[in-house]
Amino acid sequence: MQQEAAIREPLILGNKSYKDITDDVVGPIQGKAPLGWKILITISSVIAFYGVGCILYLIGTGIGVWGLNKTVGWAWDITNFVWWVGIGHAGTLISAVLLLFRQKWRMAINRSAEAMTIFAVIMAAIFPGIHMGRIWVSYWVLPLPNQFGSLWVNFNSPLLWDVFAISTYFSVSLVFWYIGLIPDFATIRDRMTKPLQKKIYGLLSFGWSGRAKNWTRFEEVSLVLAGIATPLVFSVHSIVSMDFATSVIPGWHTTIFPPYFVSGAVFSGFAMVQTLLLIMRKAMNLENYIHTKHVEYMNIVIIVTGSIVGVAYLTELFISWYSGVEYESYAFINRFSGPYSASYWAMMTCNVISPQLFWFKKIRRSLVATFILSIVVNIGMWFERYVIILTSLHRDYVPSSWSEFNATSIDVGVFIGTLGIFLTLFLLFARFFPVLALNELKTILKSSGEHHKEMQAKSNSNA
Amino acid sequence: MADNKIYWSGLEELDRTPEFEQLESQEFPAERPVDEFLSDDRLQRANTGRRDFLKFMGFSVTAATLAACETPVVKSIPYTNKPEEITPGVANYYASTHYDGHDFVNVLVKTREGRPIFVKSNTETGYGRVNARVNASVLGLYDSARLQGPQLNGSATTWDALDAAVKSALSGAGRKVLLTGTVMSPSQKQAIAALTTATGVEHVQSDSVSYGAIVEASEKDFGRRVFPSYQFANAKAVVTLNADFLGTWGDNVWYTGEWAKTRRPENGEMGVLHAFESGMSLTGSNADRRTRVKPSQQGNVAAALLNEINGQGHVAGLDEAILAGVKSAAADLKKAGANGLVVAGDNDVATQCIVNAINQALGAVGTTVEYKENAHLFQGDDAAFGQLVADMKAGKVSALLVDGINPAYSGVDAAGFKSGLEKVAFSVSTALFADETASRCTAIAPNHHWLESWNDLQIDPNRIDLVQPTIQPLYDTRHATESLLAWAGQSMDAYTFLRRTHNAAYTSDAMHTDQDWNTGVHNGFLAVAAPEMVAPTYSGTALSGALAAVKGRKGGAFELDLYRKVTMGDGQQAGNPMLQETPDPITKTTWDNYVTMARSDMEAMGLNTYIAEKDPASVVKVTVNGQSLELPAFAQPGQMPGTVGIALGYGRGEGGEAIGKAAFQVGPGGEHLADANGQPVPVGKNAFGLAGMVDGHPANAAYDVSIEATGATHFLACTQLHHTYMGRNSVVKETTLGDYLAEADSKRGEASWNRVIGLNVHDDVNGDGQINALDKKAAGEFDMWHEHAVDGVGHRWGMAIDLTSCIGCSACVTACHIENNVPVVGKDEVLRHRDMHWMRIDRYYASDWDKERGAEEGLGVISTYAKMEEPGANPQTVHMPMMCQHCNHAPCETVCPVAATTHSNEGVNQMTYNRCIGTRYCANNCPFKVRRFNWFHYPGYDKFQNVNPAQDAIQRMVLNPDVVVRSRGVMEKCSLCVQRTQGAKLEAKKAGAPLEDGMAITACAEACPTNAITFGDLNDNSSEVRATYDNNRTYHALEEVGVQPNVAYMTKVRNTPNA
Repeated sequence: MQQEAAIREPLILGNKSYKDITDDVVGPIQGKAPLGWKILITISSVIAFYGVGCILYLIGTGIGVWGLNKTVGWAWDITNFVWWVGIGHAGTLISAVLLLFRQKWRMAINRSAEAMTIFAVIMAAIFPGIHMGRIWVSYWVLPLPNQFGSLWVNFNSPLLWDVFAISTYFSVSLVFWYIGLIPDFATIRDRMTKPLQKKIYGLLSFGWSGRAKNWTRFEEVSLVLAGIATPLVFSVHSIVSMDFATSVIPGWHTTIFPPYFVSGAVFSGFAMVQTLLLIMRKAMNLENYIHTKHVEYMNIVIIVTGSIVGVAYLTELFISWYSGVEYESYAFINRFSGPYSASYWAMMTCNVISPQLFWFKKIRRSLVATFILSIVVNIGMWFERYVIILTSLHRDYVPSSWSEFNATSIDVGVFIGTLGIFLTLFLLFARFFPVLALNELKTILKSSGEHHKEMQAKSNSNA
Repeated sequence: MADNKIYWSGLEELDRTPEFEQLESQEFPAERPVDEFLSDDRLQRANTGRRDFLKFMGFSVTAATLAACETPVVKSIPYTNKPEEITPGVANYYASTHYDGHDFVNVLVKTREGRPIFVKSNTETGYGRVNARVNASVLGLYDSARLQGPQLNGSATTWDALDAAVKSALSGAGRKVLLTGTVMSPSQKQAIAALTTATGVEHVQSDSVSYGAIVEASEKDFGRRVFPSYQFANAKAVVTLNADFLGTWGDNVWYTGEWAKTRRPENGEMGVLHAFESGMSLTGSNADRRTRVKPSQQGNVAAALLNEINGQGHVAGLDEAILAGVKSAAADLKKAGANGLVVAGDNDVATQCIVNAINQALGAVGTTVEYKENAHLFQGDDAAFGQLVADMKAGKVSALLVDGINPAYSGVDAAGFKSGLEKVAFSVSTALFADETASRCTAIAPNHHWLESWNDLQIDPNRIDLVQPTIQPLYDTRHATESLLAWAGQSMDAYTFLRRTHNAAYTSDAMHTDQDWNTGVHNGFLAVAAPEMVAPTYSGTALSGALAAVKGRKGGAFELDLYRKVTMGDGQQAGNPMLQETPDPITKTTWDNYVTMARSDMEAMGLNTYIAEKDPASVVKVTVNGQSLELPAFAQPGQMPGTVGIALGYGRGEGGEAIGKAAFQVGPGGEHLADANGQPVPVGKNAFGLAGMVDGHPANAAYDVSIEATGATHFLACTQLHHTYMGRNSVVKETTLGDYLAEADSKRGEASWNRVIGLNVHDDVNGDGQINALDKKAAGEFDMWHEHAVDGVGHRWGMAIDLTSCIGCSACVTACHIENNVPVVGKDEVLRHRDMHWMRIDRYYASDWDKERGAEEGLGVISTYAKMEEPGANPQTVHMPMMCQHCNHAPCETVCPVAATTHSNEGVNQMTYNRCIGTRYCANNCPFKVRRFNWFHYPGYDKFQNVNPAQDAIQRMVLNPDVVVRSRGVMEKCSLCVQRTQGAKLEAKKAGAPLEDGMAITACAEACPTNAITFGDLNDNSSEVRATYDNNRTYHALEEVGVQPNVAYMTKVRNTPNA
């Protein structure tokens, strides 16, 4: 068994036994749904239904119900897409990259972070679909054999790369998440008393028996999947950024985009994890498992990625000036001084200045400050995508075509709707799924549990 | 040993078992008991088994589903007897002539399967070039609001009943008047004479827009009551005093092409154009020097010009800026001498007399201006019309016949005309619609549309232009001439009468035998012997009076000029959605008229000068002599402070008359907006008569008007929000004639005014041993992609657009619109910047600021850019036609995920609609922003029910069958009229000869009145486009982006006067 220095902060607080962990995680699933959960899911599903209504209206009537125009062909749709994909980065990063780096603190958060990832990627996938003029032929983006002879997709198009990148990322994340869930489902199965629930969780757990052989295979598969998933974390957003980087539009045509987008994605993903977990730990009494130390670790990731993003912003500005290209420099001057400069400064404030507050240990360890800043960061990251897409498009090469974009109620409705769907899915997850990787957590109880640390400290002082 | 080798198929064969031997002897091993099975009578009794049931059900459900999916069947019915000339799928062209009271032009009408669908200039045998209004008039033929038969007292009747009613009314006592527009038809004149003889009807002519003062001035000075014939091709210097001769004034369809002939810098010289005007007209925007003057100063500008030329005039009431303009114009006129020309647009006799004096002093009479005895344009008699209205009001008129004119809308005293009409016992109109006048008449005898009629027209003494029908009359209508004849008691059809007019001995036996007539119909005109032209003598007696009259003119705080828009003209096509949606070439505004004002005046009054989707215009109240009009204010660069302009031709159908769906405002849901009385609200407001009558003629200017802000707002739908080109010299290149001539012999890419754009490389390109900023390679040499093999292989379609010749008239815009079935989307969508024009004309004003000036004055870069966004107070203007540039390295092609937009092997960037999934990535990635997305189902969605012709059961007949109507969710854009190039290739193939230059031509190039657009095969070394392409003025827009377009532009050359 692994040993850990006594002076390291414990990852599991309280004098927890293995049974306590199981009780804490499985208890809420066995019990009745609390009132708060019922209220929340009612609100979120109402919003979700409103969003679905907006989407159906959009599909039934035409893309014209959005505020787009002849100059601005993308605005909220692709902004939302990139924003959700970005959010969907944290989960896999936490479970895969941190697994490879043997970061034990991930165990408390990886399950829900991954769930968030999957739901966020589903939300993201809605937008490329519904933004198409003819969604009913959206399957044409897949390289399917067809009776049209040599008709094939265009492998030059970054949108096609997106299709592959997102679908690969989604499937790998889903498999990875599910593999982790199997032993925990088995635990639930074993504790369930009602036959139907026992049956369902039995099916979900794929006949897990808890034998050493199962565990070996589990560890191996996890490691392999982590190896597959890690490059995907970087490829997905790199490819999303190529939608812009490979174009000719000033403000899009930028080689800095892939690393800049990836760090931005991690940045917003961690912020979203913070937002969700800070509520969940309170609501589900998980304070002993997700506590200040976890929050602090994540805040450090946020400072680092936020600073990378800030440097990228400044680099862009510098290069636009240094390039001496009329269109390029105008695109950036227009960004910070043009009609949409408010969005630019909102982005700068939220993404570059606000995370710097985490240099102060007090703020970094304050749950309230973290919660507020995590929301601020996600607002900022939405504006980042909005600024990149809109300000580059609305004034590009030919001034006669310069125009404006004004969002309609459907633009807003679809976005709010995806927030509702996302929240609904997450609430269902919190109610019926093990929100902590309980079996994994048990592996560190003896090394990083508070009780163990105390014992260790005592024995050290005795020796 | 070979024979020892035995192959066996199984152990049974090897062992020769009895079972095997038995089976081997049988050909069919297991005998099937077929007979037994078939004779089993249980089979007959059997119910359908479960499996069969599932099979049947599966089949039925599939069949039913498939049947339900099937698109509705539209049956096409073949001809029982195929007309000789009509081959389905092949277009026929017929020569005809368009005349609507203003635009007289010889045309070719394209028909498909018997339907006229396109009108183009008859450049071979004809006269004039079509403009946007003529182009789009084909849509009027199919207007579902047209009257479908004669009407009496507001209800349908028969022609016999109508004729009886008219005849009985004409037999009564009292003044009987036939009121027409200018009659140019010899046959109609004969019919009128017959009617006059038979019934004592008086004939009064009146034009919706009066040129009475010009005609009167001609009479005073030259003794001829005619509208002068101007020969712009002979003019080396033209000075226009508020005459928009390139857009709407006079015989503009003729002037435009003629004037453009003087504007080819390759000739080594260019005509020069000076404009003096208050608002920015199309002509003013093309002027080499434009001087802003107030309407009240126009007469004195003419006087000052005359003074400069021969000292007869005077200088009064003009400031330094105007005098400088006058001196410069006079210098150019003097230099041109007899090749100078002054035209004035104001309907003011004094100004016109002074202009006559100038032209006379220059010796221009006979070279650039002629007073032909038989000129037929604009014969309207303002005095006679005024007397008629007075008599009507006094109840003296017992019968009124109206033809070709709508005075209840366009009359100076429309209200007076309407009240007078109520006192007329019997009135009849031959209008096509129950318009403002016709709906108030006792009876309506609807005329044919001009595309349904035979007619003859005479504008020049030496030819009679013919109008021939291109379709059977759609409704129970009757030629106006035939109606007049019927009322004169002669029953003869218009065709026979027309033939008799030109050959008294004509009988129907000779219908097809008269070779001269047949040739005339084929060519569109009959040549006739012209009477010898006698030069008029100038009397000059009116000059001193005219000078005295203009000298004392003073204006108030604001002065008003009534102008006409290039798109809407005098408003007779208000129900034409394509014209309503064609942006005004200057303001780029659609679906409205407005008050043009100087920005400084608007700012002083606190009015909004920025108009956009969420920024409505401020409504102002314009009051002239007690009459007032509330209209939105538009900040017009180049507008003289202290003046305002209002376009005529709007506000049709104020009483809710059925003049076409597009004449009325529609709400966001596509329904017609209704006012408090439930009447539909017209588009714009009617400004006819706002300036009243001055000296017996309807004035186009008022010298003292008051403007007040109302606090109300009104949205204006503009297709262009941004007015300057921000110093982006690779979009627009321009130079002056002097600079051009200095380097006229330079190679392409080397002249200072068209230098090829170089990009720095990290390589010692110039060989000076150093790698520095001087090492540049031409932008066209950088290649990321493989070359498209279009150069020198097969056809390579290309286009060159001469910015020097382009005047921005928008004829190409409407031609493209009709040719390519481009949807009309209505004001609300244009307001959302979703106009669908494949071809647009970018209009840029020069700014007084550039980066150098910003740096000199110590302004920061942000402030400099903000200054550069503002046009100068009196800016120079560039019109730049813009459509898909058909890039050889097209950015749109690489980004489409499904390869719906690809490059053809003929250099055309082609759009495959049925492959498009509508991601709009291509549109985003287009540097020229020429791609248009189908945001809605335009041919079916309710929002477009009242604007899009494709939604009207009759109007959709105008759709070009060669071009698909796009469905929702796909991208579309200019195809370089691929249907035409393919057609031309087929023609060439059939003829077995190579495709000749000129066989394939795009709609825009064909429509261009100034030949600014050249189209053809770039691989044909003898083609015109190849020569133009290699011209040293030619460049590619945004060359440094490296997209390598197949469309090129030619540097604009201005003949900027030195003084």
